[in-house]
Amino acid sequence: MSTFQLPTHFGRFGGCYAPETLMPALLELEAAYIEATGDGAFEQELQRLRRDFAGRATPLFHARRLSQEWGLDLWIKREDLLHTGAHKLNNALGQALLAKRMGKTRILAETGAGQHGVASATVCALLGLECVVYMGEVDMQRQRPNVERMHLLGARVEPVKSGQRTLKDAVNEALRAWVSDPDAHYLLGSALGPHPFPTMVAAFHQVIGDEAKQQFQAQGDGSLPDLAVACVGGGSNAIGLFRAFVPHDSVTLVGVEAGGRGSEPGEHAARWLGGQEGVLHGCRTLVLADEHGQIQGTHSISAGLDYPAVGPEHAHLADIGRARYETAMDDEALEGFAALARLEGVLPALESSHALGWLMSHREEWRGKQVVLGLSGRGDKDLDTVLPLLGGQA
Amino acid sequence: MNPRLQAALEAGRKGGCPGIAPYLTAGDGGLGRTLAALHAIEKAGAVCVELGLPFSDPLADGPVLQAAAERSLEGGMTPTGTLDLIQRYRQEGGQMAVLLFSYTNPLFVGLGGLRASAERLATVGGDGFVVPDLPPELAGELQDACEELDLGTVFFATPRSSPARIRAAAEASSGFLYCVGRVGVTGQRTHFDAEVLRWLDQVRDLAGSTPMAVGFGVATPGDITALAGHTDLAISGSALVQHLHRTKGTDQDGAQAAFDFVAALCGAQPD
Repeated sequence: MSTFQLPTHFGRFGGCYAPETLMPALLELEAAYIEATGDGAFEQELQRLRRDFAGRATPLFHARRLSQEWGLDLWIKREDLLHTGAHKLNNALGQALLAKRMGKTRILAETGAGQHGVASATVCALLGLECVVYMGEVDMQRQRPNVERMHLLGARVEPVKSGQRTLKDAVNEALRAWVSDPDAHYLLGSALGPHPFPTMVAAFHQVIGDEAKQQFQAQGDGSLPDLAVACVGGGSNAIGLFRAFVPHDSVTLVGVEAGGRGSEPGEHAARWLGGQEGVLHGCRTLVLADEHGQIQGTHSISAGLDYPAVGPEHAHLADIGRARYETAMDDEALEGFAALARLEGVLPALESSHALGWLMSHREEWRGKQVVLGLSGRGDKDLDTVLPLLGGQA
Repeated sequence: MNPRLQAALEAGRKGGCPGIAPYLTAGDGGLGRTLAALHAIEKAGAVCVELGLPFSDPLADGPVLQAAAERSLEGGMTPTGTLDLIQRYRQEGGQMAVLLFSYTNPLFVGLGGLRASAERLATVGGDGFVVPDLPPELAGELQDACEELDLGTVFFATPRSSPARIRAAAEASSGFLYCVGRVGVTGQRTHFDAEVLRWLDQVRDLAGSTPMAVGFGVATPGDITALAGHTDLAISGSALVQHLHRTKGTDQDGAQAAFDFVAALCGAQPD
């Protein structure tokens, strides 16, 4: 086989800007993915594991106190209740099953916040696969509990010491490792990277939006929400939520990225604020780069949003005007975190807290409206970050 | 074909051993050092150079070339600065074919797009492109521009590439087909054993009239000897870059080290 069979682009975004050293593995992966998704047995096994192992369907929770406080009707899609505490498991399960089917025995993965690393380590334990997780040294420090979790699950965590030592550099290192180890499967953790990853990862997360839509309609008169909102790092949980609503123009789609500490380069991870069209990690998308095309450093209080590019499908949705991308600053995210904790008894991940923080700041705009918010993960992993900042208020 | 590239390939075919096409990271050790090294490797007998435009995220490169790019960027090297370097080399009488080795993003963002990059490279006297993360499927714009401007394009073949892909890459390459001798990133040694050489001969059959270069792990005169008769050019990158980096002292000291390294490769004799 010499070239891809599925569409490789979303509008002008996406594609496969990969070295030839990776192309055979990407072609093999696409072929296996097409073959598996056409096989009822694969789908059936995935359904079984989603239900019995991961705990799907996750609830769509009516946050009544917060709704009252903010003057809107807020429904929260509880991916934080998924096994391992974040939406990442949806993709990890799908890809690991696929890798197993391809006869792979070793999984390589990158991780930022550690959630994808934990999800990968978990599915590898479940399916009897070896697991190596690449993680930036900076992220290893700020997400210590997740590093320990991966160890307990039998994974090896490789510290990445190049570049900024965060998620971007972990992806570089995992891709380099994959080039040298073609018998492994690279379990990329977000809907980005070279084709077929953006297509495949989004498809494995589509269950989030499919469920949310059905659950939302079932609780009411069958109408759709006015707004679906989720945080966007690479954008896998947001695309998983959005896809079900994209065909329904009455549903506004808002992705919230990390505004960090300010608008200066290096102080945020807001690709629609400071980014431009470019190529990073195998896909054409919006990238935070300087005028010379060098990738810029990023900052976010949440490791999972601390990434200089965005999934190409989001770049396309923004380009055609179907979705909007806005920012929440570090402190807005903390306010969102505190609000959900105090009023609903849920500690959200700092990533998801950006969606909450944005909604809190923009609640007037959505007064009286029906809102579905994707809560991508739980916040226990973030206590080391949050406690020094919010602890005094407890 | 681009005349300087053609001359390089003809020179490469003349001896029993492949022509030597070193790789240098532009601006590693300073602009003056790279410029002096360019003249030195030409004097030593190199027929072509791949000049690496440093990028922050070089995902096909191993630690040596990553570190070189980092040093160069810290020293302030830019895409435009890399083109200026080529221009100065030409103004000072440099005759070697110069291929710009760059990842896609600095071309997209730093030089204004693929077509604009080609126009600017042609203006400063460059001879073609090696863009490791731009497969033939996505290179249409660059290929068209290069054809109009008489610049060479280079695409890759690896031992895991299917015959159909190797054929397509060769067809798309108006410069030469870059054969990666083993799976992995740059900078690890490759043992050019019978299996690799057999693969290269298969590639030769698939590539038709497209010339070939072999890179990744070419470090010693012994490697060049082993490759005799199996390729037109041999590319040596990490080993030379590391050798230069370890050579302290003036630009001229660096140039002498580059000369010695490349002269040794050029002096290799077939068995």
